[in-house]
Amino acid sequence: MTSFRHNEFFKRFGLSVLAVALTALAAGAAQKVPITFDDYHGYPATVKYLKDVAAAYPQITALLEIGQSTMGRPIYVLVVSNMKTGTTVDAQVPLRNPRAEGVKNVTPMKPYMGKAGHWICGATHGNEYTGTEVCLYAIDKLVTGYGADKETTTLVDAKTFYICPIVNPDGVFNSLDKGISQRQNSMLRDDDGDGRINEDGPDDLDGDGLIARFRYKDPKGAFVVDDVDLRLMVRVPPNEKTEKERWSVVVEDRDDDGDGRRGEDPEAGIDLNRNFPEGWWNDQGFAGGSGDYPTSAPESRAVAEFFVTHPNIFMAQFYHTSGGFTFRPLGTAPHTRLHPQDVAVLDFVMGKKYLETIGEDVPAAWKNPAAIPALREELRKTSKNKYAIERGYELPRGWKVSYDELNDRRYGFGMTSDWDFLQLGIWSITTELWNPAKDIPGLPRIAGAEGVEGDDERPEARLALDRALLKFQDEKYGGKLFLNWKPFKHPELGEGEIGGWIPRYSSNAWPGEPLAGVCDKHYRFEIFRAGLLPDVVITEAKARLLYTSESAREATAVAAGGEVRIKKGGAKGKYRIVEVTAVVENKGPLATHTARGSTLRGNREDVVWLVGDRDKVTFLQGTPYQRLGVLDGAMKIPGPGGGGEGGGMRTAAPGAPAEEAMAPPPQFRRRGGPPGPAQVRQGGARREVRWLVAVEGDSPLKIVVSSQKGGTRVQDVKVR
Amino acid sequence: MKTKLAIILTVLLAGSLVAQSKLQTNPAGYHGEIDYPMSWKRYYGYEEWTRIMRDLQKKYPALSDIQSIGKSRMGRDQLLLTITAKATGKPEDKRAMWVDGAIHGNEVNGITCSLYLAWYLLTRYDYDPFVHGLVDTTTFYVLPGLNVDANDSYVSSPNTENNPREPYRPADDDGDGLFDEDQTEDVDGDGELSTMYIEDPAGEFKLSPDKRRFVRVADPREEVRRFRRVGDEGFDNDGDGFINEDDIGGPDPNRNFPYGWGVEAGYPYPMSEAETRNVFEFQLRHPNIFASFHYHNTGRLIMFQAPPAVKPPAGQTPEQAQRQQQAAQQRLEALKKADKYAYLAPRQVAPEYQHDLDVQSEIVSAGNRILKDYTPTIGGLSGQAHAATYYMLGAYSYLIELWGSPDFEADIDGDGEVSDEEFMKWVDLELMGEGWVTPHKAKHPDLGEVWIGGTSRKHINRTPPARYIETEALRNANFVMYAVSQFPKVEFGEAKVTPATDDLYWVEVEVKNDRAYPTSSDRAVALKRAAMDKITVSGAGGLEIVELPNAATVVDALNRTAQSEAVSAKGTEFRLKGHETKRFCALVKMSGAEGSVEFTVRSKAGGTAVRKITLKAE
Repeated sequence: MTSFRHNEFFKRFGLSVLAVALTALAAGAAQKVPITFDDYHGYPATVKYLKDVAAAYPQITALLEIGQSTMGRPIYVLVVSNMKTGTTVDAQVPLRNPRAEGVKNVTPMKPYMGKAGHWICGATHGNEYTGTEVCLYAIDKLVTGYGADKETTTLVDAKTFYICPIVNPDGVFNSLDKGISQRQNSMLRDDDGDGRINEDGPDDLDGDGLIARFRYKDPKGAFVVDDVDLRLMVRVPPNEKTEKERWSVVVEDRDDDGDGRRGEDPEAGIDLNRNFPEGWWNDQGFAGGSGDYPTSAPESRAVAEFFVTHPNIFMAQFYHTSGGFTFRPLGTAPHTRLHPQDVAVLDFVMGKKYLETIGEDVPAAWKNPAAIPALREELRKTSKNKYAIERGYELPRGWKVSYDELNDRRYGFGMTSDWDFLQLGIWSITTELWNPAKDIPGLPRIAGAEGVEGDDERPEARLALDRALLKFQDEKYGGKLFLNWKPFKHPELGEGEIGGWIPRYSSNAWPGEPLAGVCDKHYRFEIFRAGLLPDVVITEAKARLLYTSESAREATAVAAGGEVRIKKGGAKGKYRIVEVTAVVENKGPLATHTARGSTLRGNREDVVWLVGDRDKVTFLQGTPYQRLGVLDGAMKIPGPGGGGEGGGMRTAAPGAPAEEAMAPPPQFRRRGGPPGPAQVRQGGARREVRWLVAVEGDSPLKIVVSSQKGGTRVQDVKVR
Repeated sequence: MKTKLAIILTVLLAGSLVAQSKLQTNPAGYHGEIDYPMSWKRYYGYEEWTRIMRDLQKKYPALSDIQSIGKSRMGRDQLLLTITAKATGKPEDKRAMWVDGAIHGNEVNGITCSLYLAWYLLTRYDYDPFVHGLVDTTTFYVLPGLNVDANDSYVSSPNTENNPREPYRPADDDGDGLFDEDQTEDVDGDGELSTMYIEDPAGEFKLSPDKRRFVRVADPREEVRRFRRVGDEGFDNDGDGFINEDDIGGPDPNRNFPYGWGVEAGYPYPMSEAETRNVFEFQLRHPNIFASFHYHNTGRLIMFQAPPAVKPPAGQTPEQAQRQQQAAQQRLEALKKADKYAYLAPRQVAPEYQHDLDVQSEIVSAGNRILKDYTPTIGGLSGQAHAATYYMLGAYSYLIELWGSPDFEADIDGDGEVSDEEFMKWVDLELMGEGWVTPHKAKHPDLGEVWIGGTSRKHINRTPPARYIETEALRNANFVMYAVSQFPKVEFGEAKVTPATDDLYWVEVEVKNDRAYPTSSDRAVALKRAAMDKITVSGAGGLEIVELPNAATVVDALNRTAQSEAVSAKGTEFRLKGHETKRFCALVKMSGAEGSVEFTVRSKAGGTAVRKITLKAE
C-alpha cells in the first residue's frame, strides 16, 4: 500500500528532520482535533478529519454531504459559522392559509444561510490535492481561532464558510491511495468500445506500490539523459539533432486486455472543470467542454446544485495546482464581457492584495489609477494586447485570466469559475497553488523559473529548477520524492528502467514547511476576501405613535412632501396609527451584488419587511415589504470602474448592464396586474424606509432586512 | 466459351412473419378496442394513468415493458412504456420513436395523446396489419407524464389553466426572499379555481342581466353595482398585500435541456431538474431513438427541428435574396396545386444538411394533412427538449402544440377573437354548460366578502373540454404512426449478373430505401453518432468472390451510367438517404457447376436484408 509507506515515512521523517513550523499551533489556539501538514491527507483521512471537527465543534460547524461521486464516495462540505446566530426571511415571516394540497417542496432555510457565504474548495482535479490541504488548514485556523482570535471570531459569527476540501473524491482516492494520478473524475465508461469497462488503466509493474515512469532506449524517443544529473530526463524535440542516446518515457503500465494498447480504458472519466454550463458549447454548436452535457458528472452537479440552493454564497475559490498564481475571470470569453466595476474590484482590490500576499510586484496602474490614461497611451506603443490597452495595464503573472488575450482565443469550455461569475454573480477565482521556485524555503533562487509549467515553457529555467529540486530533495527530504531508476523488463517494451519523480509529490506543494507555507498564505488571502463581504444591518428603527382610532379603516392618512396629515378619526381608540421608519445600511466593503450579478435572474434585490400580527396590523402606506435595489458597499473602489480617479475606462461597452440593473420579477411585470411592492430608489450604501400602519393594541412589530448576499437581520420596534 | 446460366434469385426474408389468426386482411374488421376498453372522455391523474400503463403492460406482456426512468422531485416514478413485439427482437436493437406528453405540468392533453398512442398500438397489434408492421419493426418509448408532480396536481386539484406548470424546485418568483410561499387556493372550496371579484364603486365590471357572468361597464355614467377583478382564486399567504404572486414551481422544464440553453430563460443550470435529466439520460443511453414527439399546448402547431440556418452568401444583394425567396414561394405554390397541405421549410441550410430539411418538409406536409388546422413551423432552440433530441442526439424531433380552443371552436364571426358573448355561447351550445362557474359570494380572510365566478378555465381553455380529447388524440397518434411508417427500410431491388471474361461474372444488386427518412440523419453524421449501413458479400459452393483493388471500384463494370460500387472484402459502409437507391457489385469466379453469392445489408435503423443469388451452369 503506497499511502501507508509514505505516511509512515513522513511521520518519522517529517517531524524529526523538517521540524515543520506549523502555524496552526499558534499561541492561544487549542486544537481539539490535531492536524499536521507533513503529508497529504487523501480522501479517507480528510473525511475523518471533517467528521472529527464537526463532532468537536458543533456550535460553529455542520457537516453536509452534498452528493456522491461516481464510485459512491460522499462529497462533503463543512459549514463553518456560528450556528446560534443568523436568521432568514422564512423564519421571520409567518405564512397562513396554505394550499390544501399541502405539497412540501420547500425546505426551511438554515440560519447560516442568512449570512454572507464564502465557498472554498480543493481537488476538483483529483491529482491537485494541495487545495485540499489549504481547505483543511483554513478549517483548523477558523475553528481553533474562534474565541481565541478577534478577527476569526467576528468572521465565524457573521459569515458562513462553505469548505469543500475534495470535490472529486474518486480522483483524489486513486491519486493518493492507489497511486494512479487521476485528474478527472471516475466514470464507469467503456472508453475503447470493447464491451468492457475500465479494464486497462496504469499498473504497478514492479510491485513497489508506486506507479512511476518507465524509460527505455528508443531512437524515436523524445528524451535524453541530463548531463548534470543523470536521473533527469530532458525533452528533445524529435527533429532536433542530438549526439545523445534518445529515450522514451511512459507511464508505468502494461496492456492489460491484450488489445495492443496500454491504458486506453482507465477509470479516469472527464475533466470536471470543463463540465459547467458557461461557455460549454463551441462556436459550431457542438460540445466543447467535457461530458455529455454541462453538469453531467455527479460531482459537478453536486457543486452546481449546492451553489444554487445556497444563494448567500458571494465569494468562491476553486483551488488547483500548480504555478503559484490566480486565474480571475474570464477564461471562456474576452475581457469585454466584464463590467468595469467588477474589473475594478477584481484587480485593484483582490488582485493587489493577492500579489502582495505572494510577494510579487503590483502593476503601477493599480497603485495609481489616476495614471491609467497615460499608461494606456504608453501601452498603445508597446503592447499587442488590445484588452490590455483598453484596461490601461497588462495583467501580471500572479493575477491573470486564462483567456488568451493576445490571440483573442478562449482557453477552454465550461470552466467552474467562469460559470460562477457570469451565471450566478459570485466573486469566483481559481488559484493555481504551488510555485516550487518560490515556495520552498531554502531552495536557491533560479531566475525565470517562477511558475514554469510543462516541458516547452522556458526549458532552460525548467531544467535548472528540476536540478535544484532534485538536489534539494536529496539533501532535505532524504531522496524520498524521487525514485531512482531501476532496471525492469517490460512485458511489451522490453528492457528499460522504472523510476522518476514520484507522482504523489509532483505538481503538488511538498509536504512539511513548503506546504504549510502555501496553506498559510492562501488562507490569509481568503480571510482578506471574507472581510470584503457585504453586511447589511439595521442601523436605526423607530415607531412613532401619531394618533389613535376606533378602527383601522376609519383612520386614513396621506403623506405629502414627507409630512403625514391625519384626515379623520377620534382622539381615542384601540387602534394606534404608527409611523415606522428605519435606516438600513451595508457596512461591508463590497456592494450586495456584483455588477454582473445584479442583472441575473437567480438574484434578487435587497428587501425590507415590516412584520406584525396580520389580524392586528393594517398597512396604510408602504407595502409590507419594500425593494431596496442593490446596496453599495462601504469601500470606495479605487480605479476607473469604481468611479474614482482616471474614469472613462469603458463607458458604453457592448453587453454592459444598464443603470437600472435589477429588473422587477416577472410577477410584477405582468400587464394589468396589481402594482408591485414599493421600490425604494436611493443610491449608495444606505436606505431610509418608512411605513404608516394601524396597529391594534400593543401588537408587536419587527423589521426584517434581507439581502441575498449581505445577510438577514431582524429588529423589534417599540412604539413610542 | 461461355456457360449458359440460369439465374435463380432467392430472397431470404429478414425477420419472421408470425402467423396471426386474428390479423385482418380487410381493414374494415374489428380492431381490438374493446379488448381493453378505455374512456377517452376524461383526464387521468397520476394514480390512474400509471395504473392504466401497468394494466396494459400486464395484458400485453409480449409487446410491452414498463419501467421507471427515475423519480420526480416529490418522489413519483416517471413511468415509461416500451412497446415493441419482443418476438422480433429486443427493444434496444430496433430503431425507436420517443413520445412524451406534458413536460409542462398543465398541458395534460399531452398525457392523453401519448397514452392513447400506446393503447392504440397494443390493442390493435393482433388485428391491424399496419400497426402490426410498425410494432414488429420499431420500438416505441412512451412517457405519458413527464412532469409528474405538476401533471398530477393539475388534474387532481383545483387549478387555473396555467398552473402548476414547472417541476417543483422552490423558486422566489417575486424576489421577497421567500420561496413558493403564495400559491393559488380554492377559496370557496368548490373544487374549482375560478376568478375573484370584489365590490368596488370604481370597478370596471358589473353582473350581466342573467347574473351568470361579470361584464364590463360600457357607459361610465351607468348607476350600477360595480366590481373590480382581483384575479385568480387565492389567499395572501405571506401578508405582503399580493395574492398568488409566488406560485409553486421553478424553472421552465422546456428551457432546461442543454442545447441552446441560456441562463436567463433556463435558470438555474441545464438538466437541473430530476424530471428532465432522467429523460435526457435515458435518451443518451438509447442511441436507437430515431425520432421524437413532444406534446404541448396550445395553438395547433407542428413545430419541428430544422438544421442550422446558413447566412446568405457574402455579396448577395437584397434583390437576389428576394428572388430566391420568390422562387421558393413559387415552388411551394406549384406543390400546393396538387396537395393543399404541402409545406416547404423556409430555411437555407448548408448542403450537408439539405437532406434533413427535405425530410422534415415531407413528413410535416403529411402531418399537416393528417392533423388538419395545424400550422407547421420551425421550432426554437433555447434549451428545449426537441432541440436537444435533434441537435445533440441526431434524432428527428417534433413538438406538437395541441388544441387551439376556444379560438378555433368559439370564434363564430371569424374575426380571430373570442368575445365574452361568443365564449358564453360556445359553453352553452357546444359544452352544454360544462366548465362554467356562476358568480357567487364567498368569505375571504384577507379581502372580506368576494365574488367568485366565470370560466373554470382549466377544463375548457388550454386543455380541451373532455369531450374533444379523443378526436385530437386519434389524429395525433396517426401522425406519429405515419412518421414511423416512414422510418428507413433497407431492401434489395433488382439484381443482375453479367459475364466478364472466362469464368468471371459481375453480380450487381440494388439496395434501396423507399421511405422518407434516411438510415441516419445529417445531424447524426455531423455529431459522429451515425451508425453507418454496411453491405457484405460472400460466395458459397463453386463461387468465389474476387477481391478487387480499390481502384477497381470506379470501373463501370456493367457498362451502365449508374455508379456501382464493388463491395470490399471487409464490407462497404455507406448511408442510404430517404428515397434513395444505391448499386453494389461483386466480381465472382465460378469453379464448379453451381454456387451462390449472398449479399447482406445491415442497417441499425433500416433493418437487415439478405439477397442470395444462385448461379447454375446448364
